[in-house]
Amino acid sequence: MLKSGKLPAFRLAFFTVQFVCILLVCLNDIFSIFSTSATFFPDTLNPVWDRGAEVTLIPLGQTLPETNPVRETVSAYLNLAGIEAGYSYFAPNIPDNYKIVFELYYPDGRTEIELPRVNSRSAGLRFATLLDKVTETEYAPLRTMMVKMLAFSVWQDHSSANKIRAVLGSVDLPSPAEFRLGRKESYRVLFAYDFDFSAAQPSHP
Amino acid sequence: MPNLRDGFRRFLFTPQSTIWLSVLRVGIGLQVLFYTVSLRSDWIELLAEGNRGLIRRDLMEALLSVESPLIPRVGWMVEAGGWLHLSETNVLWLLWGGLLLASLFLILGLFCRTVSIVAWILFLCTVKSAEPFGYGVDNFTIIGLFYLVIAPLPDSWSIDARWRRTSLKSSSLQGLHRRVLQLHICIIYFFSGFAKCAGPGWWNGTSLWRALTRPPFDIIPPDILIRLGFVLPVLGIVVCVMEATYPVCIWPRKTRLIWFVGVLALHAGIGLMMGMYLFAWVMIVLNMAAFGPGFAFEATRFSFIESPTENRAETSST
Repeated sequence: MLKSGKLPAFRLAFFTVQFVCILLVCLNDIFSIFSTSATFFPDTLNPVWDRGAEVTLIPLGQTLPETNPVRETVSAYLNLAGIEAGYSYFAPNIPDNYKIVFELYYPDGRTEIELPRVNSRSAGLRFATLLDKVTETEYAPLRTMMVKMLAFSVWQDHSSANKIRAVLGSVDLPSPAEFRLGRKESYRVLFAYDFDFSAAQPSHP
Repeated sequence: MPNLRDGFRRFLFTPQSTIWLSVLRVGIGLQVLFYTVSLRSDWIELLAEGNRGLIRRDLMEALLSVESPLIPRVGWMVEAGGWLHLSETNVLWLLWGGLLLASLFLILGLFCRTVSIVAWILFLCTVKSAEPFGYGVDNFTIIGLFYLVIAPLPDSWSIDARWRRTSLKSSSLQGLHRRVLQLHICIIYFFSGFAKCAGPGWWNGTSLWRALTRPPFDIIPPDILIRLGFVLPVLGIVVCVMEATYPVCIWPRKTRLIWFVGVLALHAGIGLMMGMYLFAWVMIVLNMAAFGPGFAFEATRFSFIESPTENRAETSST
């Protein structure tokens, strides 16, 4: 045991800051998902969760202007320590599942359906995450840009196609009861984008 | 007050062997190795800036800069490589090789401190530059690497300690760092479990059904799952309760083993039934390092794995 009066003060202070950050990020995460998801709590509590989420951002400097050095430093620290996100995976409910399909149109009138391809299961899991993030991006121009990049990566392998339609949708999975009745998964279109790459070279979109 | 202070001191600085650090080092080293090898065939597509990438890296890094320009990224390395007339592809493969080499050195315990810092920075660069492709496993790997970087390295099983005769740090310091990891793991499970408890789907089996039938996690055919339908609500409740009460039940002697084995089984199940092998592995490693061999007051149970080198360090530091 350490001798009396020889506590490693710097380490203790550092770990205290670390845990304050972890708790604030976790509280912010949980307040945010409670205010936006279906939970056991009544909807009348939503303003409380919203307020809680706002308050927990203040000590983390996340309410300061984006270029504020304090905010940037705290954000960098959270990322370096891997604590910038909460731990509410698959909670309080399982999120929707998304799918993207590309329709390729050729000058001779042919049409092909193509799905995005990756080379490994590991990358497949990551691609599913990407689709979640693309679909949940609220800033429409950014979402369009990301879908265009995915479409362009498909076009690289089908460069004779002059137009690509990217259809982004959610997959509705049947419940156990519906599955017993024979219902299969259904596809609901959320966004559709048309991209014309006829003038493009195999380079950046 | 003195009692409280002493209790606090005893709680934080309980002398620990370095076995937890060996578990963390080897486990996280293997995690980085698995990560690197599993993404080899998609490496360029994930990280390339040009027309070979799925999502252009420069766009992702621009978004990262909005969050903070101080977060490490692959773009810095590509830029540095440019001064040496290295192409982007060469830099990306050097990064891949660097991660692979760092993971192997970590597993062996050679130049532990330097290699853990290198692995941490390279892994951060990769993950942050491909952020849209990232999920929980990356954060947990960074957490493991971060605690490794600041940990009192080396551990007694490392080559550094055994061959290079680098001296071990005090056992009280080992205790402090292990306690920090334990508390962090408790926070993780509490918030994860509490958030699940708030969702009705976790109490009636719907969420577990959706989790297991949701592509790309649908390893088990739904026809088989439906036959086990009656088990799903029970398993859902077990997951919620086990996670939310983890911070309470992992400490007492009577419940410790049940919760520890239960959580390991939960993660093994996630790995096997949902195909999330890397996620399962990193969670098992973090749990093993925090509450596995040599945990707290049970040193005698695992005394057979303590080495003479370790005992020497314990004696000299206490």
